[in-house]
Amino acid sequence: MKSFQARGVSVTFRRTSVLDDVSIGGEAGRALMLVGPNGAGKSTLIKVLLGLVRPDFARFEVDGQPHAIDNQWKRRVGYLPEAVAFSENLTGRQLLQFFANARGVGREAIPRVLERVGLEAAGRQRIRGYSRGMRQRLGLGVAILSSPDLLILDEPTAGLDQEGLEVLWRVIAEWRSAGRMVLTSTHDLALMERRIDTICVLKKGRVCATGTSEELRRSAGLPHRIWLALADPADPRAATLCEVLSRWTDGTVERVGDRIRIDVPADDVLELMKLQGGFPGVVTGVRVEEPTLDSIYAQILGAA
Amino acid sequence: MGRVGRALLWHEFRERTRDRWVVVISVLFALLASGVGLYGRGAEADVAKLAGPSLVTLASLLVPLVALVLSQDAIVGERERNTLGLLLSLPVSRTEVVLAKFLGRALALAIAVGLGVGAAMLSSDHEQSQTLLALIGPTLLLGFAFLALGLLISAASRRQATAASMVVIAWFLLVFFYDLGILGLLVVSDGAISDAWVSRLVMANPAGLYRVQMMQAFAGPDVLADLGVAARAPGAAGIWALWIGWLTLPVLASGALLARRKIVA
Repeated sequence: MKSFQARGVSVTFRRTSVLDDVSIGGEAGRALMLVGPNGAGKSTLIKVLLGLVRPDFARFEVDGQPHAIDNQWKRRVGYLPEAVAFSENLTGRQLLQFFANARGVGREAIPRVLERVGLEAAGRQRIRGYSRGMRQRLGLGVAILSSPDLLILDEPTAGLDQEGLEVLWRVIAEWRSAGRMVLTSTHDLALMERRIDTICVLKKGRVCATGTSEELRRSAGLPHRIWLALADPADPRAATLCEVLSRWTDGTVERVGDRIRIDVPADDVLELMKLQGGFPGVVTGVRVEEPTLDSIYAQILGAA
Repeated sequence: MGRVGRALLWHEFRERTRDRWVVVISVLFALLASGVGLYGRGAEADVAKLAGPSLVTLASLLVPLVALVLSQDAIVGERERNTLGLLLSLPVSRTEVVLAKFLGRALALAIAVGLGVGAAMLSSDHEQSQTLLALIGPTLLLGFAFLALGLLISAASRRQATAASMVVIAWFLLVFFYDLGILGLLVVSDGAISDAWVSRLVMANPAGLYRVQMMQAFAGPDVLADLGVAARAPGAAGIWALWIGWLTLPVLASGALLARRKIVA
């Protein structure tokens, strides 16, 4: 599978619109992240793709051809549900054995998967004795067991410790490099940012913005924050620099102790560097802070 | 049944045999049943003949309980643990999931019943053993009927706690109070309800059907009339039709409930 598209997905439940004309797509080797506040429709959209929610309307395509959410599609998809709680009476190995049988995967895949999710030592333990993070890793193991073309992860970082996060990053990287697809929903924007390619922001069942993190940064138009460290705050040239900067930009310029803080659009950063260069010996250091993905997200949601 | 259905069936069976409540009630049934067998063995011939009916009474109380405990979390438990979505994300239909869950749990129940009756047979003499052997089939049907009912309750419930309460209520209503209810109805209606309707009401309950069927098996077709009860089991075809109805209708209704849900998990 090289790509999939879900277009115009609309779901109403008890006369409330849960998803309204939402379109998303995935391409081989890329990871798509769904973000949005609670009730935005992220999980519902995921469930539509898994055939767990029947949409009022949706057009679905695989490799550019119309397709149904049928068993053929389900064979290509691996799924990690949010906050999954497996039966505690089974061992991790027994649980994987069931899913291996169900998906027609050979028994030899089980130790391999246990190793990939870092549970090789706990495979014969009952799930009752697993920590929350271990359960989540076991869920990830279930999702990757059949090496699906599309890996759907609903809030995969929930409950994961650093070791678990490393496992998750490794799996996502593997899927991307193998030319497969990842679709994930999360609240941990900053945590996931470097591991995904495209972000889709949902609010109240509608898509507010879609693009790479760089594209979203640009479209959000949030200023970069520049910190200029002053060699001598009492130096009158520092005050002059402050005045020059205030005249030059419409953004905020403020003295904060022995530093000057300036908020400027991304396009003006280079010009600012040149300006401060005209005051040799006044500035000893420069720090540029890009707007965080969280602030971009807040901006997008606020504007939507 | 496809690959996923078969895998789920065995998974369900394996999981249920590890369920401590099921194990506890099954062991209790086996102990009580072997007690009944031992009592019959040591008693006079007339008393020994009561071992079968005693086991019927025991089974009509405990087997529905085991079956309802086995099935009450089948669907709603998966939903509450967030695993129903994972299960239905496999290439399998919703109806097949219901069927596999029913069959897997029915297999676990069959083993529990087999252990109970087997324990009674081990502690009985040869003649009694033959009587007890004849009990296995109808007792399994009784268990499967309540298993199907529990599955329906599970599919219809939104929370596992609700399903657990509902199966307890169902057990009390169908196993304990049903006959009392019919008696009450007869008193209140002052005989306005015909014998035929009383028969239908008794047979409409799988526990009633089982008791009447087994009493007739032990003491002949007129046993109820001899006891002054107008209820009479239908012929073999009628009995089979009733059992098939009790087994299939709740399972089909559970499948339909799950299939028509817009948001399933």
